[in-house]
Amino acid sequence: MFVKCNPKPRRKIQIQRIRRLNWSRRKSAIWKTMKNLSVPSASSRNPVKFRIPTAENLVPIRLDIEIDGQRFRDAFTWNPSDPDSEVVVFAKRTVKDLKLPPAFVTQIAQSIQSQLTEFRSFEGQDMTTGEKIVPIKLDLRVNHTLIKDQFLWDLNNFESDPEEFARTFCKDLGVDDPEVGPAVAVAIREQLYEIAMQSVASAKETRINKKGRRGAEHFPASASKVGGSALDLMKLFGNRASAIRKRREWDVYEPIVDLLSNEEVDALEAREEQRNARA
Amino acid sequence: MENSQDPGLKHPLPADESRLDLYTVPARSSWFSWGDIHEIEKFHLREFFDGSSITRTPKIYKEYRDFIISKFREDPSRRLTFSEVRKSLVGDVTLLHKVFAFLDSRGLINFGTPRGEGDGADQGSSQGRWKVTVEEGAPVGVRVVAVPNSLKPVTIPPGWCNGGGEVAENGVRLPPLASCRDVYSEQKRMVCRNCKDSCESGRYEYTKDRSFIICLKCYKDGNYGENKSTDDFKFLERIPDGENHESSWTEAETLLLLESVLRHGDNWDLVAEIVKTKSKADCISKLIQLPFGELMFGSTHRRGRLNENDGNMSSAEQGQLASVSQSQENIKMQDQGDGDKNENKENGDSENQSQEVPPLKRKHSTSPPDMGNSLMKKVAVITSMVDPHITASAAEAAVMALCEEYQCPREMFDGDDDEDKELGSSPQNNLALQTEGSGIEERPNELESQETSSPKNTMPLTFRVRAAAATAFGAAAAHAKLLADQEEREIEYLVATIVETQLKKLQRKVKHFDDLELIMKNEYTQLKDLKESIVSERMNALRKVFDAGISRRRDDAIVKSQMDGGL
Repeated sequence: MFVKCNPKPRRKIQIQRIRRLNWSRRKSAIWKTMKNLSVPSASSRNPVKFRIPTAENLVPIRLDIEIDGQRFRDAFTWNPSDPDSEVVVFAKRTVKDLKLPPAFVTQIAQSIQSQLTEFRSFEGQDMTTGEKIVPIKLDLRVNHTLIKDQFLWDLNNFESDPEEFARTFCKDLGVDDPEVGPAVAVAIREQLYEIAMQSVASAKETRINKKGRRGAEHFPASASKVGGSALDLMKLFGNRASAIRKRREWDVYEPIVDLLSNEEVDALEAREEQRNARA
Repeated sequence: MENSQDPGLKHPLPADESRLDLYTVPARSSWFSWGDIHEIEKFHLREFFDGSSITRTPKIYKEYRDFIISKFREDPSRRLTFSEVRKSLVGDVTLLHKVFAFLDSRGLINFGTPRGEGDGADQGSSQGRWKVTVEEGAPVGVRVVAVPNSLKPVTIPPGWCNGGGEVAENGVRLPPLASCRDVYSEQKRMVCRNCKDSCESGRYEYTKDRSFIICLKCYKDGNYGENKSTDDFKFLERIPDGENHESSWTEAETLLLLESVLRHGDNWDLVAEIVKTKSKADCISKLIQLPFGELMFGSTHRRGRLNENDGNMSSAEQGQLASVSQSQENIKMQDQGDGDKNENKENGDSENQSQEVPPLKRKHSTSPPDMGNSLMKKVAVITSMVDPHITASAAEAAVMALCEEYQCPREMFDGDDDEDKELGSSPQNNLALQTEGSGIEERPNELESQETSSPKNTMPLTFRVRAAAATAFGAAAAHAKLLADQEEREIEYLVATIVETQLKKLQRKVKHFDDLELIMKNEYTQLKDLKESIVSERMNALRKVFDAGISRRRDDAIVKSQMDGGL
């Protein structure tokens, strides 16, 4: 802070007063900005182009194709910046490696392509990104490993990496099956993708609302719909709360990894198929 | 070192020592303190300190940090995993992981715990620390093949390697989405896309899609397949497999090979011609596979260059190799010779000498230029150059080593010994026979001697080969010793010269310094004289001044001027 200093000593007192005033003004200014930041309001969210909010913009793809009684299920991540010609190549390669009947090639390619197109249709649009900490739940079975977990994820953190999380997860819990890691990462990505889609929808809504001049009452409604637990932030992170979770909630957020025997696997698969058939 | 304290304590140093828990923290992290947050932390985890969100404040950071470190210190011997702490902390897991990784990297947690594949310490999962997974069948994604891989070497299909310029920089570059199969599969038979024939000699490959190939016939006929034209195809020859169908070498072929290699060592084309049924590469590979094949290489290379020692050595090996391919009779002869030697050794050292020297001399005198195929002769010639002790002991050791392995040869040798003792009346006879018998051509004498030899000489070829090999080794070892001695002498000589030169150098230096000293002395004396003269001059000047009777006050100035004028 630089205050113009007069060589004449008479002005000293005045200068000191000015200094003090300036400092208090600055303090209040800081306080105000802090207050602004502390409450996530719709106005502070600046829309950002749609993308998966992770370090690498990878799209989760899920395949579930059935031809002539043969079922092919797979889940993986795809880089949308790869050229589309790669889709067909990939489909052919998969069919060749797994020795599936060639009818699968077109189906696989189509499925991937349609999911990619869907992703791309969102791409041009804005999505709102604010401070959003959402709970992510994992409940999946990969071969013989059953995984149940729950944790919080910040949607605004564009440096987040589901793959790294999956890696740490498998390492810490001693998971041997190498397919578990990618499955976990894909599951996380899918959930993030969904939430991102929702936020795009909400951005559209707000824009429509703005255009329609419906008023501000819709803002908190849409915010609360999309935000999920965003509004819980005050409760969770405010001045009175602790960043340490209560003990009784530890079990809820604890990861569970189960190894199943063959019979259990079969039983679960049968149950899943029933559910799918019904749905 | 840092103390952990009971939060209720006010005094930082409790009187009771036992309540102090000491935890080690690496020296580079000594800045850490419970009370406040250091600059380093603020720098590395600045998300907490830039006020960008209420979920990331210094207070929250401190809570995370303190919790994680305390959790670790509950049991400092085990490795704290991220998954253990994240369930207890509220917040974005990526951010939590960042904090955890920061603390881990600074050694504030998991310091001194075993790193590596720590098994999951998660209480919610498996039973016990060691998880045993029972895999039934091959894991997913692994193809189980009924027939194990054939002898064909697993190579990357040539199509990959002979790619365009992009391959040039970094070896084999696989296209994106390359499958394991492509890299690790066997070399496929080239099947034409159109007519489904196998492409034998060469094939045409579609440049835009490497997997699309057509045989020569189709190419000529013009059946290229849809949307392809003539110049899209590239001609690739069939690269012969690494293994030939004719991988069996008959004895005749081996014999031919060896002879031709002896004669035209480096000229592999000629060798291949002579051995008509094998290609150049086959010849070379077969030669390498043969025992001492590589020595053949070396010998043929060195033949022209080195002195006769090596020549003898190589010829000894040639003799050895020739013996491999020759008939048993020759080898029997060698056996006799070996038995001879053995007998000699068993008779004792002194007798060795006496017995060996005459035969050696005999051999040497009768057939120096005749480098026939007799191994014994070669060995004998070498021993003439080398201390007989060495050769004797070397050969003995080699034979002993062999005999330890196989009883039969030992018996054979012993049997031969007995035979030779019987024939002892004519050891010279044997030797004479040996000197004369030099090759396949001379049979009659040998046949004679062989008929008298025991029927036990039906030892398997390999044993003889090994015996002969061992002797050759012995000879080689003897030669090597000779060379080593020579080297040692040379080294001594060189060291002596070095020492001498150093001494000379020192002497010169000393002399130099002496000269300098002398010069210094002279100068010193000169200086002394100069000094004296100056002093005397001054005295004169002063005397003159006093005589002239000048007043005292202006003494100095006048004296000076007078002196200046005077000097």
